[in-house]
Amino acid sequence: MQKESAIREPLILGHKTYKDITDDVIRPITGPAPLGWKIMITISSIIAIYGVAQILYLIGTGIGVWGLNKTVGWAWDITNFVWWVGIGHAGTLISAVLLLFRQKWRMAINRSAEAMTIFAVIMAAVFPGIHMGRIWLAYFVFPLPNQFGSLWVNFNSPLLWDVFAISTYFSVSLVFWYIGLIPDFATIRDRMIKPIPKKIYSILSFGWSGRAKHWNRFEEVSLVLAGIATPLVFSVHSIVSMDFATAIIPGWHTTIFPPYFVSGAVFSGFAMVQTLMLIMRKAFKLESYIHVKHVEYMNIVIIVTGSIVGVAYLTELFISWYSGVEYESYAFINRFSGPYSMAYWTMMTCNVISPQLFWFKKIRRSLVATFILSIVVNIGMWFERYVIIVTSLHRDYLPSSWGEFIPTATDIGIFVGTLGIFSTLFLLFTRYFPVLALNELKTILKSSGESYKNKQDK
Amino acid sequence: MKKVFHVMYDDDDTLLVAARELVAKGIHINEVYSPFPVHGIDPVIGIKRTRLAITSFMYAMTGTSLAILGMWYFMISDWPMNIGGKPSFSMLENIPAFIPVTFEFSVLCGAHGMAITYLLRNGTLPGMPATNPDPRTTDDMFVIEITTDTNSMDEKKLEAAIKKTALFELSIKDVK
Amino acid sequence: MAKTKRYWSGLDELDSTDAFKEIQGQEFPEAQSVDAFISDERHSSSTTGRRDFLKFMGFSITAATLAACETPVIKSIPYVNKPEDITPGVANYYASTYYDGLDYSNILVKTREGRPIFVKGNTATGAGKANARVIGSVMGLYDRARLQGPSSAGDASSWADVDAAMTSAVARGTTVVLSNSIVSPSTSKAIAALGAQHVQYDAVSYSALKEANATAFGVDAVPHYDFSKAEVIVSIAADFLGSWLTTSQHDTDYSALRSPERGTQSQHFQFESAMTLTGTNADIRIMINPSDEGNIAAGILAALKGSSISNLDENTTAKVKAAAKALMAARGKSLVIAGANDLAIQTIVAAINQTLANYGSTIDLDRPSRAQRGDDSAVDQLITDMNTGRVSTLIIYGCNPSYDLADAARFNTGLAKVKTSVCMNGVADETASRSTFIAPDHHYLESWNDLSIRSGRVDIVQPTIEPLYSTRAAQESFLVWSGAGLTDWYTFLRTHYNADYTSAGMYSNADWNSAVHDGFLNEENVVVSTDYTRTIHTTIALSEVESRKGGSFQLSTYVKTAMGTGSHAANPMLQETPDPVSKVTWDNYITMSRVDMESMGLNLYIAQANPASVVRVKSGEITIELPAFMQPGQKPGTVSVALGYGRGANGEFIGKAAYQTGENGDHLVTDNGLPMPIGANAYPLTNQTNYDITIEATGAEYALACTQIHNTYMDRDSVVKETTLDEFLAEKDKAKGEASWNRAHALNVHEDVNKDGVIDSRDKKPTDAFDLWHSHPVEEVGHRWGMTIDLTTCTGCSACVTACHIENNVSVVGKDEVLRHRDMHWIRIDRYYASDYSLEKGAEEGVNVISSYGKMEDASENPQTVHMPMMCQHCNHAPCETVCPVAATTHSNEGLNQMTYNRCIGTRYCANNCPYKVRRFNWFNYKGHDKFQNFNPAADSLTRLVLNPDVTVRARGVMEKCSMCVQRIQEGKLEAKKSGTSVLDGAVLTACAESCPSNAINFGDLNDSGSKVQAISKNNRSYHALEEIGIKPNIFYMTKVRNTESQ
Repeated sequence: MQKESAIREPLILGHKTYKDITDDVIRPITGPAPLGWKIMITISSIIAIYGVAQILYLIGTGIGVWGLNKTVGWAWDITNFVWWVGIGHAGTLISAVLLLFRQKWRMAINRSAEAMTIFAVIMAAVFPGIHMGRIWLAYFVFPLPNQFGSLWVNFNSPLLWDVFAISTYFSVSLVFWYIGLIPDFATIRDRMIKPIPKKIYSILSFGWSGRAKHWNRFEEVSLVLAGIATPLVFSVHSIVSMDFATAIIPGWHTTIFPPYFVSGAVFSGFAMVQTLMLIMRKAFKLESYIHVKHVEYMNIVIIVTGSIVGVAYLTELFISWYSGVEYESYAFINRFSGPYSMAYWTMMTCNVISPQLFWFKKIRRSLVATFILSIVVNIGMWFERYVIIVTSLHRDYLPSSWGEFIPTATDIGIFVGTLGIFSTLFLLFTRYFPVLALNELKTILKSSGESYKNKQDK
Repeated sequence: MKKVFHVMYDDDDTLLVAARELVAKGIHINEVYSPFPVHGIDPVIGIKRTRLAITSFMYAMTGTSLAILGMWYFMISDWPMNIGGKPSFSMLENIPAFIPVTFEFSVLCGAHGMAITYLLRNGTLPGMPATNPDPRTTDDMFVIEITTDTNSMDEKKLEAAIKKTALFELSIKDVK
Repeated sequence: MAKTKRYWSGLDELDSTDAFKEIQGQEFPEAQSVDAFISDERHSSSTTGRRDFLKFMGFSITAATLAACETPVIKSIPYVNKPEDITPGVANYYASTYYDGLDYSNILVKTREGRPIFVKGNTATGAGKANARVIGSVMGLYDRARLQGPSSAGDASSWADVDAAMTSAVARGTTVVLSNSIVSPSTSKAIAALGAQHVQYDAVSYSALKEANATAFGVDAVPHYDFSKAEVIVSIAADFLGSWLTTSQHDTDYSALRSPERGTQSQHFQFESAMTLTGTNADIRIMINPSDEGNIAAGILAALKGSSISNLDENTTAKVKAAAKALMAARGKSLVIAGANDLAIQTIVAAINQTLANYGSTIDLDRPSRAQRGDDSAVDQLITDMNTGRVSTLIIYGCNPSYDLADAARFNTGLAKVKTSVCMNGVADETASRSTFIAPDHHYLESWNDLSIRSGRVDIVQPTIEPLYSTRAAQESFLVWSGAGLTDWYTFLRTHYNADYTSAGMYSNADWNSAVHDGFLNEENVVVSTDYTRTIHTTIALSEVESRKGGSFQLSTYVKTAMGTGSHAANPMLQETPDPVSKVTWDNYITMSRVDMESMGLNLYIAQANPASVVRVKSGEITIELPAFMQPGQKPGTVSVALGYGRGANGEFIGKAAYQTGENGDHLVTDNGLPMPIGANAYPLTNQTNYDITIEATGAEYALACTQIHNTYMDRDSVVKETTLDEFLAEKDKAKGEASWNRAHALNVHEDVNKDGVIDSRDKKPTDAFDLWHSHPVEEVGHRWGMTIDLTTCTGCSACVTACHIENNVSVVGKDEVLRHRDMHWIRIDRYYASDYSLEKGAEEGVNVISSYGKMEDASENPQTVHMPMMCQHCNHAPCETVCPVAATTHSNEGLNQMTYNRCIGTRYCANNCPYKVRRFNWFNYKGHDKFQNFNPAADSLTRLVLNPDVTVRARGVMEKCSMCVQRIQEGKLEAKKSGTSVLDGAVLTACAESCPSNAINFGDLNDSGSKVQAISKNNRSYHALEEIGIKPNIFYMTKVRNTESQ
């Protein structure tokens, strides 16, 4: 059993035993639903239904119900897509990268972070679907043989790369997440008394019985999946960024995009994790598992990625001037001085300035500040995508076709709707799934549990 | 007609110690049930490192070759088209554009292939019955399973040996 | 043998079973009576089992569903006997002529399966091509609002009744025929047969011009102006490219002298207050007040005579002197024209042209125009007579006086006093709905006629389709009502003649047949030689114009390129054709200068969320309220308003598209429940001088739908290239890419290109030297369709826009969608104004780049203008193609950028990645969605007949764009294949190239060494728009050259 230096703060507070961990995690599942949860799910499911209605209206009537036009062919749809995918990345990053780096503190948060990933990616996948003029022909994007003989897809198109990237990313994260869930489901299964839940959980647990051999394989598989998922995360957002980078529109045509988008994704993802986590730990009394130390660690990640993003913004500006290309330089001048400059400055404030506050230990360790800033960051990241897409498109090469984009109620409705669907799914998760990787936690109890550490000191 | 001993321990360290003692006595341990991976138990009870990682690599390679082959067929061989003047004459010229899909498809095959193999080898599939001897083994208890038929020692001796360890509880069953 | 054969009724009888024995005796054997069966107790307890029920239900539902799934049957009736000339799928062309009082044009009508679907100019006469209005006119044939038969007092009636009533009405009392200018010899005869007084008028009157020439030279007609000889043109507020006289020939003649390749270029001065289409093409444009038009004319006359110029500011004076100088230099090869319907001005202008010896060379009164016969005084007299009840019968033909007479109000009161009035218009418009009878005339595509706008040629109008409704040729009505013996119009046309027009006694069969085939019949000129030397007395005129003073605000009226005088108000396609200058669609507005609008605090920037401010203009007794539109080039202190709007103000049913529609496509209604007309009627203003008007903001706001909301080209050097004639001539013979005014774009490379030993910023290579990969070959392999567009000769007349629109079934999407920047035009004309500011200027003045760009967004007060037709450039390295995930847009091996509609899934990635933004997305189901019911031709079962069967009507959710009329290319290739030749240059023409009156657009095979386009593409003026992106378009633009140097 590995030892850990005594200076390190314990990751599990309170004098917990294995049993306590189990009970703490099982409690929300076995116990009655708290009132707060009931209220929240009611609200979020109402919003979700509204969103679904808006989507059906869109599909029934035509893309015209959005504010798009001949000049701006993408706006909120793809903005939301990139935003959601970005959020998704944190989950995989936490569980995969931190696992590779053997970061124990991940164990408290990776389960729900991964859940967030899954749901965020589902939300993201909605937009490429509904933004199509003819969604009922969406299967055209797959290289299917058809009655016309040879009619294949275009593997040169970044959009097609997206199809592969997103579907791979979604299914792999799902598998990764579920493999981790199986033993925990088994634990729940064995705690359940009522027959029906017991049945359900035993089906979900695939008859896991914790044999040594299985644990051996389990750890191997998790490790390998982590190893695969890590490059996957980077590749996915790089490919998303190529949708823009490979285009010729000034403001899109930039080689800096892949790293810039990936760090942006991690940035917004961690912020979203913070938001959810801080609510969850209160709601389910998981303070002893998710505490200030975890928050601080994540805030440090936010500073780092936030700063990378900030540097990327400045680099863009510099290059646009340095390139001497009139279209390029105008595109960026237009960003911060044109009709959409408000969006640009919102982005700058939220993404570059606000995370720098985390340099102060007080703020970094303050839960309230973290909560507020995490939301601020996600607003900023939404605007980043909006700025990149809309301000680049609305004034490109020919001034004659310069236009403007004004969102309609449907644009807004669908975005809000996805927020509703997302939170509904997440709330269901917190109620019926083990929100902590409880069996993994047990492995670190002795190395990082408060009581045991104290023992070591003696 | 054999006897099955389920020896329960309440701590992973004691489990480890006990296992070592028993193995030292030449007792063969069939199985260990634990709520979480007990590091260090595998060599003691003679579990070899799994080869799942290798399968994953093989699946991934299959994916890679499938992807490259497919894209070569679709874009170069079967129906080359002039799309934006980009070359569709030879694979070599087109390969840069094919890298992203190739990578994604390899990952897809690698991950899913391995996951499926993992579940099949474990025999953990939807609807499978739980086989752990005691529900507590998914909570905070650790069970060593020893059977008479896999041990030359007679059951009296076995029981004695087991009793010597810091066990928490012992259940002996007759199995046909 | 006593033994006889026995036949059994069945086996039962043979075996004589008990059952058989039982029923044997009965006459009506009945195994069991129905009553017995029903009364059986056991059955009452039996029920249909759930499973049975489900089975039945399952079956019936499936059956019902399947029955409902029957595909709708579309009946198509084959020809019993195939008409000789009609082959399904092959178009027939008929030569005909268009005349509506404003436009006169020799046309070819394209019919498919007997339906006229397209109109283009018939160039055989050398009289120009069809303009936007004429091209659009074909839609009028399929207008829902057309009357289906005669009516009396608003109720449907029969021809017999109308004829009876009219014959008697004509017989007694005074009958007057009111019509537009009649240029048809036979029609005049038919009218004459009525023995009635005949008054003619033009919606836009040229009475003064006519009178001036009458008094000066004794020829009571509007002269013929020959722009093909005019090296110097001075136009005083005459929009001769847009609407002045019959424009179709002006464009062609004018642009013939614009091309700088001939070593020089005609020079064009334009003095005007409103920014007209002609003004945007002028080399030197001077903004003046309407009240000064006379003074300008006087000034030119004075300058020519060498005397001093009075009452003009010195800047204008200088310009006037320059103009006079240029005119003098081009004596006999120049032209001075004035737009005002003002005797004084026209007299002075006549004098100027006489001084310049233009009469006889560029101005012809020997063979004057036969149109514009309108006589204001005669019309005035008629109205007075009507009001005093002296007119008992009024026959109104080919005009809409209740709407477009300057004094319509008085006319209408008079019309009410006329006992019997009959209107022959095809729809129940303002006049028709006020008349006692409506005797609807055929649409021009349904009728016979002969027209002669100048002596020397008679043009034939021939029907291209059976009359759709029970309408009747107006001329036939005249004949019937006159009680003449011969009432059949066609026979009348063939047998009667008018010695003034045709030399031969009558149309001989040979003549007639060739005339019908060619669309015209030449004849020797009537030789009248006018004495151009008579002295013109200008003293009164001069003193009159000198006395004119303007107030703080002055107003001028103009005619819009698409709307004309208002007769096309119900034509959705023309309504959506953006005004070539303002780029506003579907609306009428008051144009104002920036300074005035700023001082009044009106909205300058007009866009989706930025509506225009409504202003109230008061001139004398007349008040109109319209949104104000900031028009660069508008003289400060003046406003202008277009005629031809405000049709159907009393809810007359003149067509669905003639009224305003809301966001959901329904007609908006006024407070009194009538459909809301588009714009306001400005004709009353033409009845007076508007030198002193008042203007005030009402505070209301009104959305204007522009297709282009940004005016300047932001100092970008590779979009539009232009130079002056001097600079052009200086480097005329330089190789392509060398001349300073069209230098090939080059990029720095890290090798010693210029061999000066050092690698520095001077080492550059042209863009096309760079390529990432070795691309698909395009040079010298098969066809490579391409286009060349000369920015110098393009006048922005928009004929190409309408031609493309109707050829390719482009959806009309209505004002609300245009407002959302979703117009669907496949070809648009980008109109750029020059700005006073540039990055260089900013650098000199030390202004930072950001505010320099800000300043560049504003056009100059009196800007130079460029018209740049923009459509898909069919790039050989098309950015749109590479990003399409499903390969729905690919490159053909003939250089076409193809769109596969049924493969498209509508991601819009291609449109985003198109640097020219020429791709158009089907945001809605335009042919089915309620929003478009009131204007989209495809949405109306009748108007749908105008659609081109060779072009798909695009589905919702797919991308579309210019296809270079691929249907025409295919047709051309097939023709060539049949005739065994290669595709000859000019054999295939796109709709835009074909319709371009100034021949600015050329289409052909760039790989054909003999083709015109290849020659032009090698010309040193030709360049690619945005060439530095390296997307290698197949469309070449030619540098614009302006003759701005002032002598």
